[in-house]
Amino acid sequence: MTSRKKKWFSSGSAIWGTSRSGDSLTHPRSMQARSSVLVTVDCLRADRLGFRGYSRPLAPFLDALAQQSIVFSSAVAAGAPTYFSFPAIMASRYPLSLGREVVGVAPGEPTIATVLQESGYETGAFLAGNPYLTARLGYAQGFGQFSDFLHLADARAGSVKFSASPGFSRFNRALERLSNRTKLTAAAYNELYFRYCQWRSGRERLSMDQLRRYPAANVVVDAACDWLKERSGRPFFLWIHLMDPHHPYYPPPEAMESLGMSHITPKYARFLNSVWNRGDLSPRRLQRYRKEVMALYDAGVHWVDRQLARLVEFLKAHNQWDDTVFLVTADHGEEFLEHGNRYHSPVGLAEQLIRVPILIHAPGSSAARVTDTFSLIHLAPTLLEGLGVEIPHSFRGRALWNDLSTGKLPGSPAIVECVESCNNQFSAADRCGNRLMVVLDGDHKLVLRFREQSDSLYDLARDPEERRPLPDTVETKNRARLLECARDYLRYEREHRDQALALRARLRELRHHVVLKSAPVEADKTTIETAEHG
Amino acid sequence: MTDEFRSVRLPQVLCEQAERWLQGRFETLEALITFVLQEITNNEGSRLDQQEEEMVQQRLRDLGYI
Repeated sequence: MTSRKKKWFSSGSAIWGTSRSGDSLTHPRSMQARSSVLVTVDCLRADRLGFRGYSRPLAPFLDALAQQSIVFSSAVAAGAPTYFSFPAIMASRYPLSLGREVVGVAPGEPTIATVLQESGYETGAFLAGNPYLTARLGYAQGFGQFSDFLHLADARAGSVKFSASPGFSRFNRALERLSNRTKLTAAAYNELYFRYCQWRSGRERLSMDQLRRYPAANVVVDAACDWLKERSGRPFFLWIHLMDPHHPYYPPPEAMESLGMSHITPKYARFLNSVWNRGDLSPRRLQRYRKEVMALYDAGVHWVDRQLARLVEFLKAHNQWDDTVFLVTADHGEEFLEHGNRYHSPVGLAEQLIRVPILIHAPGSSAARVTDTFSLIHLAPTLLEGLGVEIPHSFRGRALWNDLSTGKLPGSPAIVECVESCNNQFSAADRCGNRLMVVLDGDHKLVLRFREQSDSLYDLARDPEERRPLPDTVETKNRARLLECARDYLRYEREHRDQALALRARLRELRHHVVLKSAPVEADKTTIETAEHG
Repeated sequence: MTDEFRSVRLPQVLCEQAERWLQGRFETLEALITFVLQEITNNEGSRLDQQEEEMVQQRLRDLGYI
């Protein structure tokens, strides 16, 4: 027993932060790049890209680029949704490492951008209006230019608000109260109210561009290209975050036309988004709309692909492509009822949610396919190693640049974590719930639900859809091994918490709430589709 | 909360700055400081961290691995 414990503890310590060989500065032999472009796509499922096996040619540009790039077939986010994923992407820090009270990146916390800026890089970020990727939450640190497009996102959210007269609202609330007396009358009320909203919204005749909540990829890429034009010749780090696959799904008409979806009108797209958002319908009733909703999502992915093609053309035309590491990934995936869930709420950490694509195109590096598990916690140190820049001690991931070309990585379990059912991290009550955690090692996936005090082990080779959790009597050694990893991880994180960073982040949040006296994101009951982000 | 109080020494300039800032938000400097200290000493998250680690440890015990 003792020897096994020692063995797994040493495995654990290799994961949780002592593994970088002396944290030394490394210079890969074949690396020629000086600059880097990091593209993160919100909600982009790994299985939507041809190089990850999708049969529909949604992303011909990325699929072609994959032929000359390093691609990963088993990459996972360190958390989901956005607010639990990005601390790992930008700061190589597990989502709950500073405590679950902390939102965003802490003031003074080293990130890819701060390190590169200190190393002399020009830095720019162009983010398509995600309210969790803002200066207030620390993401502007290290960027000389930071454009979060929130003004556009807010204006768009306002444009689809459904407003009613005070008299009607009172009548409606009374009717709702009355209808709640029985399940049948409540269902009838919900259906009638939904149809009324559809009738009201149908009169507005808004275009897809007017209905979209976030700036489309072309807007963000245009801004990024304008910024690139003004570069002085110093190496640059450009971060682009695109929201096109994020719900509500309103892809540009050009993308729909390109995929043969012109028959879906803005009015029908609005109906699909509204019905998909209904909380009162069972997955069985929603199922009939799934294919069409996924088609809208796919068109968003297609639009991202077309705009990334344009960005790369720009880099080539300005003689920057051969000098640039180009990296595309996602913060998390998206669910379409595979386990009864929609969107990307952290309720189960299903494969559809945690698997992400990664594509790295680097000058001088040959194409490779990495099949071993790779967590996004390793992305920042790996990129910095590739650029020959020193890696901060606070980064928890490993620098694996030199291993990528071999396609083989040092094996270690991946941790994915979040606060279960935390759909609004700005709400203290939401973010201080129980942890939901996955330990993933090869084909074995252990899901720990602390709220229910339960765990489920899956053999993904035999059960890729996670339908059949293994009973306690089967694969007990693997279950125990992953449990030990979980325990060691939790212990390490608790004992090595950077209390100064955590305090700074909590004080920042506190100051914001005291100044505003209210949470920044509140559910707006009068919108036809809810404005959940993440 | 409690009837017992203690005095702390803070730089005069800082107190004056804080008093200007808190206008309309807190009645007194003491109220502001009490609020901030209450918030940052709230250990609910740490309690959950510890509890979750113990749950995993207990599960390993139940499975006979420790």
